[in-house]
Amino acid sequence: MKVSLNELQAVCRKAFLGMGFTESHAEDAADMVAWMQSHGLDGLTALSEGLECVKASALQARPEILYEDADLAVVNGQQLSVLASGNLAMELAFAKARARGLSVIKIRHCRQRQLIMGYVCRLADRGMNVTAFWRHAQSPLTEQVVGFRARSNVPFIRVYQLDEAPEENEANDGITIMMANHVDLLPTMRSEHEYALLARHDESDLLAAHRQALEEGILVLPEVWQQLKTLAGHTLVEASSTSRAGAGPAD
Amino acid sequence: MTLSSGPVTDKTLSLRPAAVVMELERLGSFSPTRLSFARRLTRLMYQSRWQISCVAFDLDEGGYGSAIYRLETAAKRYHIVVFSRHIADEQRTDRVIADTWDLTFGLVEGEVDDALLASLEANMPLQEAGRQHPRLLVLSRANRSVRNFDAFVAALCAGEQPDVACLLEAGYLYRTTAVYGNGKFGIADYDRLRTGADFYQPFSPQMTAVYVLREFSVAQVEHIARHKNAAAAVELDSGLRRYLGIGNSTGLGMAPFLINHPQLINHWVYAREQALAVASGQSPSEEHRIHMVRLCRRAMAYFAEMRVEDSAQSERNIVVYEELDQIVAWLEQVPLEPSLWRQLMDWAETSLSLETQELINTLLIECYPDEVDALEELMSVEEKLDLTPDMPLVQLKQLLETHFDWAIEADFEAAEARYWFWYQSAEKEEPRLGVRGEEAGEEKELALAIAPRAQRVYHAITDFLVDHPRALTIDLLLAHPEHMKAVRRIQTMVATAFGEIRANLWHRDMKPMHLLRTKLSFLGAHRFDPRGDRWVRVTFFQGAPVLSDFDDADADPALFDDWSFPIAPKQQRGLEPR
Repeated sequence: MKVSLNELQAVCRKAFLGMGFTESHAEDAADMVAWMQSHGLDGLTALSEGLECVKASALQARPEILYEDADLAVVNGQQLSVLASGNLAMELAFAKARARGLSVIKIRHCRQRQLIMGYVCRLADRGMNVTAFWRHAQSPLTEQVVGFRARSNVPFIRVYQLDEAPEENEANDGITIMMANHVDLLPTMRSEHEYALLARHDESDLLAAHRQALEEGILVLPEVWQQLKTLAGHTLVEASSTSRAGAGPAD
Repeated sequence: MTLSSGPVTDKTLSLRPAAVVMELERLGSFSPTRLSFARRLTRLMYQSRWQISCVAFDLDEGGYGSAIYRLETAAKRYHIVVFSRHIADEQRTDRVIADTWDLTFGLVEGEVDDALLASLEANMPLQEAGRQHPRLLVLSRANRSVRNFDAFVAALCAGEQPDVACLLEAGYLYRTTAVYGNGKFGIADYDRLRTGADFYQPFSPQMTAVYVLREFSVAQVEHIARHKNAAAAVELDSGLRRYLGIGNSTGLGMAPFLINHPQLINHWVYAREQALAVASGQSPSEEHRIHMVRLCRRAMAYFAEMRVEDSAQSERNIVVYEELDQIVAWLEQVPLEPSLWRQLMDWAETSLSLETQELINTLLIECYPDEVDALEELMSVEEKLDLTPDMPLVQLKQLLETHFDWAIEADFEAAEARYWFWYQSAEKEEPRLGVRGEEAGEEKELALAIAPRAQRVYHAITDFLVDHPRALTIDLLLAHPEHMKAVRRIQTMVATAFGEIRANLWHRDMKPMHLLRTKLSFLGAHRFDPRGDRWVRVTFFQGAPVLSDFDDADADPALFDDWSFPIAPKQQRGLEPR
């Protein structure tokens, strides 16, 4: 089935509220998922496949800060979805970059990392250059880098596989984000190691995907839609004779 | 605030303060102005030479079937598709929980081929229960005013014109009960239109669809009359044709829009206030004074003719009529001084009712089209409530004290002050009001009351600063993430000219009707006919030019622009408001 972007945002927001997210976190999470979906990046699959993790994340709106100074912060993602407190972690880094010109934040042990793009786009829109980096798998080693230029709401995305993994190749289930107030941080592929480019999305591809989503609607699996509607239903109050009294003049 | 389309704004003008303008009761006294979306539409249609024609009219003798109208603009082609179905009288209801209507209709971008028409026919009559097409820009439905509809058909098929008196209580043949845009039920997102040439203004596609429905309503009654009595049937007189509008029945569903789009509402109010400042700052000529008197007299005639069921609104209309009479006498006697309009506004503010004050403002704006019409470009805005996480908390506290003093000083603990709660009913997901402590659903309250939230943020900041005097906004939010939504809104809205609507939406005395009328006035609705506090009937496009007027090369240009406060053709003079 096809839905509109506005409809997707609205249903996701209510679904997150239904899971117990705070209002701002529900709105942000909905925007993150809808942004991904409307740019052809399949945010709904990420959400649906990790739904139990997202539900478990609902009450964890506050990021746990492990280390912080004027330029850096390290946050414990507690094996929860980035939808839980990724927004506040990003805002913390944004504030530091505004004050210091450049900041780095590491969110350790987090899930559904690709959804962070849906929030980073907001920071880019507010004038920040942002690059996010994470590893998908250890063997073979794959990495993803996403770069937003300031005032652009679509990124460059590169996903690649390193054939020769570095010696120090510990599990890394975190995400590292750099923000710079005045300097482009766009990724340029250079490595001494052999790598194979697995996926590449340029700004123009993503803009075209977004345009298509607005023109043709967004394809959604009916079962996923129903899942969201069921969760959203938790925010609604059952109809009664009193509630019907507010539904218009008596006939 | 950022007003990028600002060559028409003059920051040296003295605007009325937000504390005056944004009071809910005053907003709820607004009348439509020439900047309202319905007025703008007919100007745009005339200036841009939009072409609208009927390309299919497949109705049976009872008026049931479908019709398609084509709209050609310089940029694109659109179609308005109407489905007319027979429904039993007992099924006809304005209640939002209805599931069948006399008409369903929509505005489609591009061509309508057989496949799309079949899809529309299968889904459009279902409205909210259907899955609508992404090229559908507007989805709506309407019910007949049975009395008017039958009276019009009976008169026309007898070769007579209907009695205009029947339009004084309801100035339409059809009444819409919802006009959906912006992605509802699968239709196109407003974002898709925002950068286009034709419908970048909010509600412009909805107004277009409703305008074309008005044409259809006349074509349909004429069609039925012809089938009933081909030999005698006549067409509707042009004066009556123009005096017919389209009704709208609106309830609580409209209220959250005003709260959930604060930047847009700020822009609407800003444009209106800027227009008022421009108009009232003019040194009037004798022609302007005569024009103002003429407008006042027309408004008096309009109020004299209006019949509304609500006794309180009826009383207010009588007061407006009497006060307009005083204003006319005053205008005709006082010397023509450069400050005449300011004198009028000052007098109104101290001595006349709110409705009359705002009506005068509407009429003053009407007097200066050349000076104010460009302000219509301010009526749209890209809405973004952004956080400023690096704002020092002491600054945020100060901004709250400056711009939200009305909220942080209010008492939200008294039983009267927290009487209502807003919730969303499972039935069509429509908003409702419940009595706190008495009705079910309080735990699922919609966060529409901004004032108590601003106050809670203020208290949280005050407490936090005790131990963290140099803290930033992000520090507060890391400790209290529950305030993030309110802080975003506060930081955004303090930078705007008019900010928030100043009301406690929990208060027992709060009247949702004021919220509805605020929005309806900007849309361009006339004839406010409240049905209690939560429901209102209004009329759109009454007095507006009809399609054939646009084809008339000799038509007076004023016909396309100057049609506010419509009065009945061949009206009887000397009527007093009932």
